[in-house]
Amino acid sequence: MDTLLDRLMLLLILSDLTMLALRRFSAALGLLALQGGLLAALALAAHQPDFTGRAVLLALMGLVLRGVLFPWLLRRTARRAGIVEERRPFVGFVPSLLAGIGLLAAAMAIGARLPIGALPTLGLVVPASLFTVFTGVFLVVARRKALSQCVGYLVLDNGIYGFGVATVGNIPALVELGTLLDALVAVLVMAIAMYRLSEEFDHMNTDQLDTLRG
Amino acid sequence: MNAELLLWLAVLAPATLALTAVFVRGVRLPLAIVAAGSSVAAILNALIAIFVLSRGPLLAGAGWLRVDALSAYHLALLALVGGGSGLYAVVYLAEEQRHGTLTIGQARTFAGLWCGTLAALAFLLVSNNLGLMWVGLETTTLLTAFLIALHVSRESLEAMWKYLLICSVAIAFAFMGTLLAAAAATTTHGAPAHALFWTDLLAAAPRLNPALMRTAFLFLVVGYGTKAGLAPMHNWLPDAHSQAPAPVSALFSGFMLNAALYCTLRFIPVMNGVPGCAGWAQSLLVGFGIISLLVGAGFILFQRDAKRMLAYCSVEHIGLIALGAGVGGLGTVAALLHSLNHSLAKGLAFFAIGRLGQAHGTHEIARVAGAVRTSRVWGVALLASCLALVGAAPFATFLSELLLIKAVFDTGRTLLFLTVLAALGLAFVGLMRHAIRLAWARGDEPQRQITVGSADVALVGLALAILLVLGVIIPTPLRQAVEAAAGIVGAASPTALVAGARP
Repeated sequence: MDTLLDRLMLLLILSDLTMLALRRFSAALGLLALQGGLLAALALAAHQPDFTGRAVLLALMGLVLRGVLFPWLLRRTARRAGIVEERRPFVGFVPSLLAGIGLLAAAMAIGARLPIGALPTLGLVVPASLFTVFTGVFLVVARRKALSQCVGYLVLDNGIYGFGVATVGNIPALVELGTLLDALVAVLVMAIAMYRLSEEFDHMNTDQLDTLRG
Repeated sequence: MNAELLLWLAVLAPATLALTAVFVRGVRLPLAIVAAGSSVAAILNALIAIFVLSRGPLLAGAGWLRVDALSAYHLALLALVGGGSGLYAVVYLAEEQRHGTLTIGQARTFAGLWCGTLAALAFLLVSNNLGLMWVGLETTTLLTAFLIALHVSRESLEAMWKYLLICSVAIAFAFMGTLLAAAAATTTHGAPAHALFWTDLLAAAPRLNPALMRTAFLFLVVGYGTKAGLAPMHNWLPDAHSQAPAPVSALFSGFMLNAALYCTLRFIPVMNGVPGCAGWAQSLLVGFGIISLLVGAGFILFQRDAKRMLAYCSVEHIGLIALGAGVGGLGTVAALLHSLNHSLAKGLAFFAIGRLGQAHGTHEIARVAGAVRTSRVWGVALLASCLALVGAAPFATFLSELLLIKAVFDTGRTLLFLTVLAALGLAFVGLMRHAIRLAWARGDEPQRQITVGSADVALVGLALAILLVLGVIIPTPLRQAVEAAAGIVGAASPTALVAGARP
């Protein structure tokens, strides 16, 4: 078992759990950047014995986008809209953390059952990525502010990326580029959408988006 | 002309026009770009469809691009719906420009995003790589988000955010499913060189791990199903459809839902080839189909906004199509035929309500009522399209719904059959009640007159003519096309299909 890989994945799990209990955006965005870094390291570690230029380049691009650009864009949006923290989430921070522990157990159970054996040294990668996916979906559902939901979407995206790198290994570069580009555009579109929302509503609480019914 | 080149052009031509739209100046140019982009895309898509349907699958770009009968049939659908809504958009937006409710910037945004969406839709249909197909569908979500909120208002922003978030998360699920399928392919003995190529995955199907593939398909059907508007994941759909400008609603209902369902259908033959999974994926489709049918039909009754009513009607019809594909055999043929008929009827209905809404400044049923008096052409078009949507007799939808019902009856599942009949009856009552009010009841006086030009008459005439002709006879080329497309979804032996596909 590759202990370095497992340590990275432990960090990923810890960052997810912390994310569930965080109130302030600046801290959540910091963690998002950390996850970006962890995933870039995972991408390199997965290709370990033979580093190709392609693998290094893709890992670097992932690092720049997921580790730097996305958190920076969201920080900018938060500052322009003047929001600092998630005040009244649909699910409180302590219940969120408890739910997170439940999700972690579920991810471990599912990860152990899925018959994936692409890399013999996978270790914690599959359960950790699954847990990241679950955390992302939970954040989208349980948070009130549009910005928190966007962070949730990015956590989900991180989880799927980790899963893909670890299990499929040789995703064609074209597909990987395409998905990375899509994530970039998604964040840009969401940032602009949030900016417009905050202009029109003077807030970004999605529960008050309730004019459309029936 | 080189046929392979067509595949590249179908994506690149509208994409280039989309980029051009960013740079143009002037009032008329953006609308000219919409017209050019829509018609060029329609011609190219139609050419590919004709070529493939008459001569067999087309490969390009070292196997990365591939069009078979199923994608060709959908390309033909895209040509019809995209071309029609594009021309309608020009008429619709020109009217807005005349009344000063559309700025040049908005027209430019519309032109760019519209042509981009057409390119992305063509891209997802021509790509053989399931990852790139996913990229295409996700791109349509991102591009169309701002089309919903073209006219910024609280309601449209709300609809845009719901659409963006729900569909992005759902589509991420679909990517997870795609990865799981790829993981299943790479872990088999003699892993294919391109695990994400549909052709390679299909060939490897008998060796794929059933547990992994079932998990994969669950993710896929929930993910793509959300974008297709299948209940209970349809929450975003009524909001987005009711807030978007009418041409966008027409493209959403008329093709984007079908495109998402197409992505799901691609995995059906693969799943049927996996040991112990034959028919399992299709039974899931039957389940989602029947729920959508019931939810859609039920909610039509309570609508006050005409566009929301049409949106729920789309949930009902996409449910019907999924149900048909799930039943298989004749059901798949009927489902694909119904896709065409529904797209035509629903597109026309959105065209009509869009123009009538321009005259009234609202889409509320009570206020738009009396449409036949407001505008003879569009009032009659609205009534006729609603009749087509409930499956009334002279229209083509009658024929395809009858075939669907027969396919369900043939399965011998009485409860399923009775539920489908009840839901269709409910939808009939609900939609006709609203349609009669819309056509003849006394509503508000229109705020302004609709100027009906020759383009309006041509759009209505063409759509109604096709619906009426197809209601009487199904021409042999169309029948062959639908049967060939259905043959790919319900292939008895996947390996034979791939063998035939290799040039």
